Amino acid sequence: MPHRNNIRTLLIVDDSRVSRMMIRTFVLAKHPQWIIIEAASGNEALEIVDRDTPNYCTMDINMPGIIGTEAAAQILAKYPGIRVAIFSANIQESHQTRAATLGAKFVAKPVTERTVALALDFFESQT
Amino acid sequence: MNPLSELQLDTLTEIFNIGAGRAASSLSEIVGDQVKLSVPRVQLYKSSDINAEVLSLNGLRVGAVKQSFSGPFDADAMLLFTEERAMEIVHDMMGSQVAIEDVAEFEQEAMCELGNIILNACLSSMADMLDLSLDSSLPIYSVGATDLILSQIVSEADQPVMLVLHIDLAIEKHLSQGYLVFLLSSSSLRELLAHIDRFISRI
Repeated sequence: MPHRNNIRTLLIVDDSRVSRMMIRTFVLAKHPQWIIIEAASGNEALEIVDRDTPNYCTMDINMPGIIGTEAAAQILAKYPGIRVAIFSANIQESHQTRAATLGAKFVAKPVTERTVALALDFFESQT
Repeated sequence: MNPLSELQLDTLTEIFNIGAGRAASSLSEIVGDQVKLSVPRVQLYKSSDINAEVLSLNGLRVGAVKQSFSGPFDADAMLLFTEERAMEIVHDMMGSQVAIEDVAEFEQEAMCELGNIILNACLSSMADMLDLSLDSSLPIYSVGATDLILSQIVSEADQPVMLVLHIDLAIEKHLSQGYLVFLLSSSSLRELLAHIDRFISRI
């Protein structure tokens, strides 16, 4: 994982191109040096983490293919060091509990400067 | 034609009202303006009677995001905006990231995502209150005559009677009106009422 010069890699997983764009914009506004990778599904995300292991990951839940919480579980089982924020419109408690069990941060959509800041705070907080 | 008791109807209306409140708060965060809610309306209709006029859905053509929820009961949920206002909302949502002349390119995807957020906000809080869990399909956006969009859902459901929950969302800045409409088939009604009764018994 690249840690030099505060460069971090963030993987944004969301089937909505609009949401990916908005997350990317808000993150780069705060951290212009970060490297952003995007995936449009959980399955694609699983391939990407094996290739370019990111430091952080934002993960939508309702997507075609495997759902986001399942993708996050598989990613964290393999790479427990990646910090994952589950970024979802589906705010049912069952999903929030699942996120907490995985050690991921649950952030309720919409994607705004405020909600992206919640994910960033979680990424940068030390465990 | 109303198998719901007054208490069941009142409880369902209140749960829907809270869900709609969560939806309005998400919409307000997206458009950066206050969103006012009307009184929620919950009523059983003969499927053949359901149309835009009966549901007081103004605007002949609408942008509609449709999503199906399934679980102990099934529901079709819709978020409707009059067609020309949908573009303004997309512009608000994406802010300075997209020039106004490019908004049309993103209309489809932005409205799907907007609907996904609003409809899930409402259904999620209703599911949590009723202590059940619902799965949602991916959102579909279409633009067309309100009656046509409604009749498609009603004919797909293929039920003689449907429970309709709807509420108006008014965005002050745009003087625009949106609608949140849920349609439940009568076959789902029994399960829904069982959960409503359980909710009531816990009060």
